[in-house]
Amino acid sequence: MADRIILTIGTKKGLFVAESSKTRRGFMLRGPFGHGVGVYSALIDTRGTPRLYASSCNPFFGMKVLRSTDLGKTFKETKSAPAFPKDDGRALANIWSIEAGKDKKELLCGVEPASLFKSRDGGDSWELVPGISNHEHSRKWQPGNGGLCMHTIVRDGNRVHLGISTGGHYLSEDGGETFSAANKGVGAGFMPDPFPEFGQCVHKIVVPKGAPGRLYMQNHGGWAEWDGPGGRRPDIGVLRSDDHGHTWRSIAKGLPSDFGFPIVVHPHNPDTIYVVPLEPMSRTCPGGVPAVWRSENGGGSWKKLAQGLPKKESFFTVLRHGMDIDELSSPALYFGTTTGQLWIGRDGGEKWECLFDSLPPIHCVKAAVV
Amino acid sequence: MPPQLPPARPRAHATTITVNVPTPLRNCCSGASELALRVTKLSAVLEELEQRYPKLHRSICDETGAVRRHVNLFVNTNHMRDCNGLGTSLEPGDVVTIMTAVSGG
Repeated sequence: MADRIILTIGTKKGLFVAESSKTRRGFMLRGPFGHGVGVYSALIDTRGTPRLYASSCNPFFGMKVLRSTDLGKTFKETKSAPAFPKDDGRALANIWSIEAGKDKKELLCGVEPASLFKSRDGGDSWELVPGISNHEHSRKWQPGNGGLCMHTIVRDGNRVHLGISTGGHYLSEDGGETFSAANKGVGAGFMPDPFPEFGQCVHKIVVPKGAPGRLYMQNHGGWAEWDGPGGRRPDIGVLRSDDHGHTWRSIAKGLPSDFGFPIVVHPHNPDTIYVVPLEPMSRTCPGGVPAVWRSENGGGSWKKLAQGLPKKESFFTVLRHGMDIDELSSPALYFGTTTGQLWIGRDGGEKWECLFDSLPPIHCVKAAVV
Repeated sequence: MPPQLPPARPRAHATTITVNVPTPLRNCCSGASELALRVTKLSAVLEELEQRYPKLHRSICDETGAVRRHVNLFVNTNHMRDCNGLGTSLEPGDVVTIMTAVSGG
């Protein structure tokens, strides 16, 4: 019976694992694993015996995948990491996402330059998924500030949604064999045509449970003041789809900013979503006052959640993989900051408390009940 | 009379060159700090490492075969870019050193 909360905290200087009982009264911290090396993605794979995975992105010696079979007490490198075929011409620059695939030992991995890899043996060997990696658009995608990265992989039955910065949202409806750009309504404020077929800077996509066809997206917003060619581009940052991602509409009205990186959905209520609005130019908390914003009606309206968070002088960023939610009946949110703090938001974000305040800059946070 | 010191010896057999392996990569070659190779060109060092120590090679070169951006290869005290790149000729007794670029953050 599942009785523990496990958090993986990927930082600029390695991976940390925090563990608590289901009361969440106290978290024990282990690590760093892959000491000194940046971790941009992690997976707590709860299919069968839980396994933890993390990317270890060494700027000197290349990419590794770390795996733990003892809930994060120890980690070992898998036998290999994703790599492009020798004659491809591309070289792996970063690993941005690791997600569970269809079969028990299948893993999917999104990398920079934007491409998808699949492992059928729990991460020991990897193969390129050509349907997206060699897509006719792929050589036209452009790097965003974080590089040309495939950062989001979401499986929904036989559908696979991918988020690429900057490439946009790509959708497979045949289990990941073929992909099409699906960006109708997704804005690209930084392009002359603000609604192109592809090339958007998608930041994160989530699929709620219990609402077939529904998706939420945090897109690259912050274009409300744009007065150049094409006119204003307000509210393109937070979006919703009700047709499996074929079309999207804005749900950003009521937020202090439509710029942000993470978006998280409640595990038991598909209408409840969370974002962290940021000031678009600095990409830090607006006015130095951090807050998570929650909608309980699918983006129709928003409420500020800030009890326990600093009231001033906080200029951190929460990155795209920096927030997650556990699956207990009254779930807790967790977010990590670029200033190395890990916060817990109990009662669905009503009350915030800092769990760890001096970690290295945090790239990614995952939570699971195991 | 002071004891007679043995003559200075090259770090490797006269027909070989030596590769110095930095500490973080020694787990890719069974902990060895030095490897002796019989090669006459820097490119052949990498080919030999790819055959014998694929993990070490992958840490030095990306999948296109290019030396990683933040890895420097020195022949004796000269950076390979100041010689003839991977085409640099090697003489018996030469020492190839693998080093990381200076960086911070």
